Amino acid sequence: SDSGSDSDSSLSDSELQEAFSRGALKPGLNVVLEERPKRRNDTKGLKQCLSEFRQQLAWVERLDVTLGPVADPVSQSASNKDAVDPENDFQREMSFYRQAQAAVLEALPRLRKLQVPTRRPDDYFAEMAKSDQQMQKIRQKLKSKQEAMERSEKAKQLRAMRKYGKKVQTEILQRRQKEKKNMLNAVKKYQKGLSDKLDFLDEDQTSSQGNKKGSSSQRIKKGPNAKRRYKNQKFGFGGKKKGSKWNTKESFNDVSSFRSKVAHNKGPRKGGKKALNKRPGKRARQKMKSRAR
Amino acid sequence: GKWKNKERVLIFSSRGINFRTRHLMQDLRTLMPHSKADTKMDRKDQLFVINEVCEMKNCNKCIFFEAKKKQDLYMWLSNTPQGPSAKFLVQNVHTLAELKMTGNCLRGSRPLLSFDPTFDKEPHYALLKELFIQIFSTPQYHPKSQPFVDHVFTFTITDERIWFRNYQIIEEDASLVEIGPRFVLNLIKIFQGSFGGPTLYENPHYQSPNMHRRLIRLSVAAKFREKQQVREVQKVKKNESKVLLREDPTEVVFETPAEEKPVEIQLVKPESKPIVKDKKKLRKIQRKKQKKLFRTEA
Repeated sequence: SDSGSDSDSSLSDSELQEAFSRGALKPGLNVVLEERPKRRNDTKGLKQCLSEFRQQLAWVERLDVTLGPVADPVSQSASNKDAVDPENDFQREMSFYRQAQAAVLEALPRLRKLQVPTRRPDDYFAEMAKSDQQMQKIRQKLKSKQEAMERSEKAKQLRAMRKYGKKVQTEILQRRQKEKKNMLNAVKKYQKGLSDKLDFLDEDQTSSQGNKKGSSSQRIKKGPNAKRRYKNQKFGFGGKKKGSKWNTKESFNDVSSFRSKVAHNKGPRKGGKKALNKRPGKRARQKMKSRAR
Repeated sequence: GKWKNKERVLIFSSRGINFRTRHLMQDLRTLMPHSKADTKMDRKDQLFVINEVCEMKNCNKCIFFEAKKKQDLYMWLSNTPQGPSAKFLVQNVHTLAELKMTGNCLRGSRPLLSFDPTFDKEPHYALLKELFIQIFSTPQYHPKSQPFVDHVFTFTITDERIWFRNYQIIEEDASLVEIGPRFVLNLIKIFQGSFGGPTLYENPHYQSPNMHRRLIRLSVAAKFREKQQVREVQKVKKNESKVLLREDPTEVVFETPAEEKPVEIQLVKPESKPIVKDKKKLRKIQRKKQKKLFRTEA
């Protein structure tokens, strides 16, 4: 019989309300289950039937063991050992497994005492419940599953390695570039005559060792002339090159390198009187040209 | 030794079984060397005909599979001349041929039977236990049996049902592998006689599969009907005559209209943004060049 909230004849509204407040009814339409009359449970009849039916056989004929499952070392608490959740497939199957284990542990010694063989000798060949073909199929399936897992593991590892490998590769490249730069600098220094040691030919020598030995001649200290040194300092050794050759406000306003005697060629000649290559001015040159014609 | 325990089990079925049931039956016949097979029984015949069939085949136990509606499988276990017998609903059938069960055992080897301690607690379970033992244990020195004990049948009671598993014993330290088959038995009734007679026990937790399907359909229908009812109530509410409230002058007192904005008319079309097709293309080319240099250097 279906139910709507109005058409219920067996339960009055107040009873329904009470049931709802108790939590027995959920909101929405409820379907009434018909309660069948009491189920038969003829305990006496069952016991009598069992006593008639039971066979008095030796245990070795029946081979039955009634035991609970083996205690699980992994299970959490003693209180919920009995409550095996039937919905939890793994837990349920493990409880069956452990029950079988308990039975085997109890029965095998008894069988050995009764001289019933439990281990098949290696040379005893007989027909098995599953054919060899079936077992081959099973083996194939297991192998393929394992291979698939291994393949996925390998792929994962490769991916991780590639990430790590990329890092390592960039580090190596950077190190190589640094070494190359150092080598070229050392070669340049030797070429310039700054250092007459061929240390860079011997690889992997630390720079500290070279400094300790000390410079041999005075020339090394000065190195290139002042102009060259100034330009190296301003434009050389890597770094931002883009805006470095432009005049800045400071460089423009910096007149510290102006020597008026030098500019007007009035100062005392340093380093001996060499032939001054004084080029005549534009007007003088034009006059010379017109006169020559 | 001499074969004394003369148990013979007749395993057969009715018509209308599907492949899984057929394979399960074949698996049981393989595992029990003391079993006999028979042709399918017509459903028109009544159940007590089975007793005569068993007598003809000289069997004293019987496992009978009955399929209804091509969906539900029932199993009868019976001690044929006098009883008792029990009817079960079989669910969750997995056969020997499933590839996930990797164990194997000798054909005809004797099984060890393992029962849950719950079987000793109730009289109906005790009777079932005796029935299982007598049917499933292979008699010693049976001509078709192997003398080794290398597998174990497990019967466990969980969730008001009996779960059957079959494990192979690999080592003496009780390491096991499942062989199969697997099934779950839901007890319906226990009868005093074989395939008939007074009912000794009815399982109160059993719900016939028809009833189960019916309840599911009813609950779905109830949900739908509830939605319809709610919609009808809403319709009635909507069509009710609405009460018009009189205008309240005190509500409008503080209302001030917003300032009017001057109407702007755009005469000139707004400038369209320059379409940049691919901002990243220049950067892409640059990056490719750098990568090339990088690679050649290294």
